[in-house]
Amino acid sequence: MKLKSGGREFEVEIIAREGRAIRARVEGREILATIDALGDSSAILSLGERRFRLLGARRKDAILVAVGPRTFDFVPAESAARRAHGGLAAAEVTAPMPGKILKVLVKDGDLVSAGQPLVVIEAMKMETALAAESDAIVKRVRVAPGDTIDHGAVLVELSPAPVASAPQSGREDR
Amino acid sequence: MTRRKLTVLLVANRGEIALRIIRTARAMGLRTVAVYSAADARSTHVAAADDARLIGPAQPAQSYLNIAAIIEAARDTGADAIHPGYGFLSERPEFARAVEDAGIIFVGPRADVMAQLGDKVAARKLAIASGVPVVPGIETAEPEAAREFAAREGYPIVVKAAAGGGGRGMRVVESAALLDAALEGAAREALAAFGDGRIFVEKYLARPRHVEVQFLGDEHGNIVTMGERDCSIQRRHQKILEESPAPGLGEATRDAMLAAATRLARAAGYTNAGTAEFLVDRDQFYFLEVNARLQVEHPITEIRFGCDLVAEQIKIARGEKITAPGAPRGYALECRINAEDAAAGFRPATGTVLELRVPAGPGVRFDTHLTRGSEVGAFYDGLLGKVITHGASREQARCRMAGALGELAILGVTNTAGFLRDVVASAAFARAELSTRFIEEHFPAWPREDRAETEAALIAAALTVAGALGADSSFNAAANASGAPADHSPWVALRGFELWRRSS
Repeated sequence: MKLKSGGREFEVEIIAREGRAIRARVEGREILATIDALGDSSAILSLGERRFRLLGARRKDAILVAVGPRTFDFVPAESAARRAHGGLAAAEVTAPMPGKILKVLVKDGDLVSAGQPLVVIEAMKMETALAAESDAIVKRVRVAPGDTIDHGAVLVELSPAPVASAPQSGREDR
Repeated sequence: MTRRKLTVLLVANRGEIALRIIRTARAMGLRTVAVYSAADARSTHVAAADDARLIGPAQPAQSYLNIAAIIEAARDTGADAIHPGYGFLSERPEFARAVEDAGIIFVGPRADVMAQLGDKVAARKLAIASGVPVVPGIETAEPEAAREFAAREGYPIVVKAAAGGGGRGMRVVESAALLDAALEGAAREALAAFGDGRIFVEKYLARPRHVEVQFLGDEHGNIVTMGERDCSIQRRHQKILEESPAPGLGEATRDAMLAAATRLARAAGYTNAGTAEFLVDRDQFYFLEVNARLQVEHPITEIRFGCDLVAEQIKIARGEKITAPGAPRGYALECRINAEDAAAGFRPATGTVLELRVPAGPGVRFDTHLTRGSEVGAFYDGLLGKVITHGASREQARCRMAGALGELAILGVTNTAGFLRDVVASAAFARAELSTRFIEEHFPAWPREDRAETEAALIAAALTVAGALGADSSFNAAANASGAPADHSPWVALRGFELWRRSS
């Protein structure tokens, strides 16, 4: 995904994770990290020899991360494209990691609301429900239970909800 | 010993200083009264006080600068004294006078003393008469007189407001071509900030240090000094990092400065706490101004002298004699954490504090009014808090400061903590190469790229996005794997957190 901060754009993908271990690609470079989420909304992230204490929060479209005293405000570059999709947070629901489709909860033509689960995938020994980020109509379901999926594969295509009063976004307003 | 009854103290301020004053007053057994604007109804200082009164809307002119409303609040709550804090009305003689006229004790110098010292020209005359060295300069609004002065002393010169303090309206003029615009601009800003457009022009010292002397005066004619503070590290002519004692200041120079401050305070008939500010160029020092109030950076003096300056102020206001301070111990540093973007020319920032992690440990003090959910708006000064550290040596205090700033995290309001950590950790600061040009010389650009920090932040952000895709996503599992309660982690589903936002 593309994230913007302080006028710069960064490219970051989580390629895989297994427990605490994360394999990510940051600006084209593959990085191994380990992460431990703590109970107080902080986390410890280790990169090689360095260990960072993080704090995280979301604010509307932004993701705020403190690495020690230094703070970053990231805005997903995709969110700027949202308006172009007529209130859709995203026109496609994609696989956040490689895995297998467990359940498909919607069919073509369904009207779905923000936060409604669409597909359940199994990846890295966990079940993950993928939800609509905004009100939408299911244009096309591209997968079926049992399908093996790659990271980034398009699972469901969405089109804008029919009402003009499409909500700003999905989960962060709840 | 007590000559005057002082049992209910109204604090005419907000933010960290209001909270700090309330804490001392409460420890002295006083009843405390907070005043607040509509924007501050849920602020920490309001919650901390025994009583509180709304004094107006968010605009400072109608609330924290509203003399009538504050005096009305004092009458209404039975306050017998008012502490002005710093900023706002603290150095307005008309406020001190109105308080005195209302039969209420003003915790600060007398109105007439404040008026004399608050006027840079009058203060300068007093300094000269007291044998205190001053920087060559003149008061004028005339470009011609300013040009003559500059021709005599040589450029660059400084143009600043004759009234007020804190670097407002101050301009450095490098050449004659820029003089007219600087005079006009400074006059306009001085008029807007202080209601007084008079201008002061003086010789500019290229790489001076800013060193100030804390003093106390009582009604019995006693004046004591409590060491000096080096406040050279500034941005936009405003202090951001202070320390005591001033590193490398010769014993003879220090003694001469303390003696000069004492003479000045005595000549002014000063009572209560005050600070004499000086510019220091090698062994030469020049009087700058007197701040007739408590300073933001007063805690570094408190820590070294093992005293409570607000308690001293209250005792003096009750008519008590000053108790002579003991010998200072060790070194102290203070970092001001401001709501500013150090990566964008210290542009002011606003926002809601979403997460807060505060420093602690041996020799660490953190004065703040912030809590999770605190709103930082554009109406008031953006001071979020002050990290103060103490050590047996400067190096120990410095390392403690670096550690404390590393622990501090304020999420939701862009702030200077990360910048100050890098300043404190720098070799130039470790070597105490202090001058008022430190930031522009050593930190012309910030942040210095730290790729691993950026990568860590990006990975965390990507995981947060992934977590937001489903209710049971990656960070949730990470929390479970480490045995922490998943529900409490905003890395997963930030609903509790949204509730906080919603309540605002």
